[in-house]
Amino acid sequence: MRILSRAHGLGSALCAVALSALAVLPCLAVPTLSQQINPPEATIGDDVQVTFVIQNGSGTNFNLQPVDGLQNGQVSTSTSFSFQNGSISSSAAKTFHLIPTRAGDFTIPAFEIHLQDGTVLHAQAMKLHVVAGANGAPAAPQAPGPPPTANPSVPAFNPNGPVVMPPANNAPPQPVPGNPAPSAAATAGGNAVPTESDGRPAKVFLVITPQTTDAYVGQSIPMKIEWFIRLDADAQQDSLPTIKGSDFLMNNLSVRFHEDTLAVMDEGYRRESWSTAISAPKPGDFPLQMERDSYWIKSINPARLNPFVNFFPGRPNLAHEPIASNQLTIHVHDLPDEGRPANFTGAIGQFTATATAQPDTVAVGEPVTLHFTVTGQGNFDYVRCPALTADPAWKTYVPSSKFTPQNESHTQGIKDFEMAVIPQKNGTVPLPQSSFNYFDPATKQYMTVPITLPSITVTGAMAARTPPPGVVTDSTEGTAPAEAGFLPNRITSGWTKTSLIPIYRQAWFWIVQGGLFAALVVGLVFLILRSRTKRDDGREERLRRQHSMALETDAMGTAARNGDALAFFVAARHAIQLHLSTRWRVNPESLTLTEIRQRDPQLAETLEPLFVQADEIIYSGGTGRGLDLAQWERHVRDLLQPQTQPA
Amino acid sequence: MTFQFSRAGRFVTLLFALGASILSLTADTSDSELDAANRAFAYGSYDEAAGLFQKIIAARGYSAALCFNLANAETKANHPGLAMLNYERARYLAPNDADINHNLQLARQQAGLEPNSYRWWEALMLSINWTVWLALMVLCLSLLLFAVVGTAMKLPSPALRTTFRLIFFIGTPLLLMFAFVELACIGFNNRVEGVIIAPKAANLLLSPIDGAEKIGTIPEGELVTVEGRHDKYFRIEARDHHFGWIQQQDLEPVIADSFDAKPAN
Repeated sequence: MRILSRAHGLGSALCAVALSALAVLPCLAVPTLSQQINPPEATIGDDVQVTFVIQNGSGTNFNLQPVDGLQNGQVSTSTSFSFQNGSISSSAAKTFHLIPTRAGDFTIPAFEIHLQDGTVLHAQAMKLHVVAGANGAPAAPQAPGPPPTANPSVPAFNPNGPVVMPPANNAPPQPVPGNPAPSAAATAGGNAVPTESDGRPAKVFLVITPQTTDAYVGQSIPMKIEWFIRLDADAQQDSLPTIKGSDFLMNNLSVRFHEDTLAVMDEGYRRESWSTAISAPKPGDFPLQMERDSYWIKSINPARLNPFVNFFPGRPNLAHEPIASNQLTIHVHDLPDEGRPANFTGAIGQFTATATAQPDTVAVGEPVTLHFTVTGQGNFDYVRCPALTADPAWKTYVPSSKFTPQNESHTQGIKDFEMAVIPQKNGTVPLPQSSFNYFDPATKQYMTVPITLPSITVTGAMAARTPPPGVVTDSTEGTAPAEAGFLPNRITSGWTKTSLIPIYRQAWFWIVQGGLFAALVVGLVFLILRSRTKRDDGREERLRRQHSMALETDAMGTAARNGDALAFFVAARHAIQLHLSTRWRVNPESLTLTEIRQRDPQLAETLEPLFVQADEIIYSGGTGRGLDLAQWERHVRDLLQPQTQPA
Repeated sequence: MTFQFSRAGRFVTLLFALGASILSLTADTSDSELDAANRAFAYGSYDEAAGLFQKIIAARGYSAALCFNLANAETKANHPGLAMLNYERARYLAPNDADINHNLQLARQQAGLEPNSYRWWEALMLSINWTVWLALMVLCLSLLLFAVVGTAMKLPSPALRTTFRLIFFIGTPLLLMFAFVELACIGFNNRVEGVIIAPKAANLLLSPIDGAEKIGTIPEGELVTVEGRHDKYFRIEARDHHFGWIQQQDLEPVIADSFDAKPAN
């Protein structure tokens, strides 16, 4: 597993410069303002969020004018930068939390926002309707399944807006394991961000934002998954977020994630985000949590003695642990029995259905193709072809279907059905009544969409018919086999197999191939390694000679200090022989002065005094009195220097 | 020498005898049990014929011919689910057999189901004999390994060295191609399919729990793809790309025992 990490040190500085540059770049684009009040209708004591988002501009130094009956609460700001499709954009968001203290209609007056570059943006007036709530008008019931705006504390998710943190129905996302426990909960966009003991936001965290926490069995809940990593800890990842437990089914995260960079609590972060959908197969309250096997830079090994440390920083130490997201509780309700249409197939959402019939004139026995189109949002897996009422004038066939998603989570799209029907009589024959049924979680009601189909002009008389190509009759016909048409039995049993399970599902199938393949790879590696390391036959001999030469040199020095001329010259001559034999790859004992002269006359001339003196001392058995052995030793050592190379 | 020859001769004789007995067990050219089953079928005792074919399969194992005959008997006995199951098994064992496909499509038509004939490339990918394929892969890998070992031994013969090089340079791309084909075929073959055997139709449920919402039916004999399992329920994808849960008892796998369902029919 190869993990590529990003640079630290200079990288941090570059990031800071980049972020600073990014703060300037948006000034080149035209600033725009969007504003939102959420919810526009509230009860006393609710948290009403008034959000202003300035795109491509900086300057959040403005405030709301006080309004009687609305108590000012917390104010939060955030800034984000996005890199998408090669273009850079920034947005600064400022959210005012207002708490209504009385019922009535309120108007937050219009005002002007002066940006740093002198641009003036005009904020429009916003209206807020406040009802008495529990002590006055009854509060809205807890509607399972409505869109997220039903929960006033959860702002609608805006992918291009400020950081949207998880809905506040649970604890904040967990910090990085192994990091110091969160010491404080800072805020971003009005929601909690896990922080470390030094007050900085956590290096890595995961946030899931389902569209709703109340749903019905089988309902597709769109969900945003956002994984944040601080830029100074950024590392490449090799896994996708997975859902914990088996209480929910999730669409495959096959679509590549969106990536952008943004600031959270003045820290630069890289964000990877996915849009998917989950559904619960059974009713109950279930915890929903995801996790991602994440890598991040724990520290950087300083590159010691590296003068280019600023350009080539040290190797990063990577931490690797699964990071859990915020945990939510999803309330999954059973579909109500009351009002359930007979043809309900499990479709939950908001849909529209239309149909066409082609051609409008056919002969008896010829098929008419009905084309149904169901569009909308919901669980398209359970959207089936609109039902036709039984009509003896028409014979129906099994429809085919095709789904075209219109968003990443596959919760919006178009499902087309084609069904062949064949008239059983002639004349102007109205097509059967048709309808499409679904359950709308917003209204908590089963909905029936009537589909009007035209009448078809059928000509000719009834004749023997054959099914249209590609379709066969439905199961209303009897299943008794025809007497003709079936091919007869075989009279031999043929080759038999005790099991139908293919052998590739058995371990030995892979072990046999894997073993041979592994042996092949090992053999190839062996061949490659061997070709790179050529065998050195003379290495041992060379080492032995070098060792001997070192011994002789030591003996020579000892003899010179002791004034032992015989021992000195024996050792000196042998050392010279060893030295030359190493170069010429010959036996050292065979290197006489004559031999040396034949190979290198100039060197022989240099060595001749030493060899003559050595012979004289050895053969005369003399003590060499009067010889300056120290000077001879220096001379020999000079000869043994590497630069004294033979020719 | 005489003793050695005698031992070798006995060994060869034993091998022949063993091979002959295996052949006699697995490739009967005529046998009384099969004749009896076919006779019952010919006399119109379809239930009895189906029972006899099932006994033969239980005793000897599956073959395309036995599954085909059993499917014919189940069709005549008006058991479309079991008929389709055994036609699918026969087709799984012999994807290119036109007779099996003919009867299967006819049975499907009579049961009100869409035709599901294989396209040529599907039949090609399904017709791979995995035992032969494994032998091919092992042969290819062994030859390459032989060439590598031979190269490592630095044999003096130039002819051998040339042979090793040839094996290596021809065998490597072949091996890569075989590996690709193997993985592609396995990916295609690895669907888990089952046939609805519930009488008339199986209920398609919204969730895998007792008393779950019924969201439709799948007719008996329909082939579905099993996507997952939860307790005694299977999450299936029907041929019209609808999803839902059905009870284990309503479904029988085409590849018997492939998801630990109840014993094959």
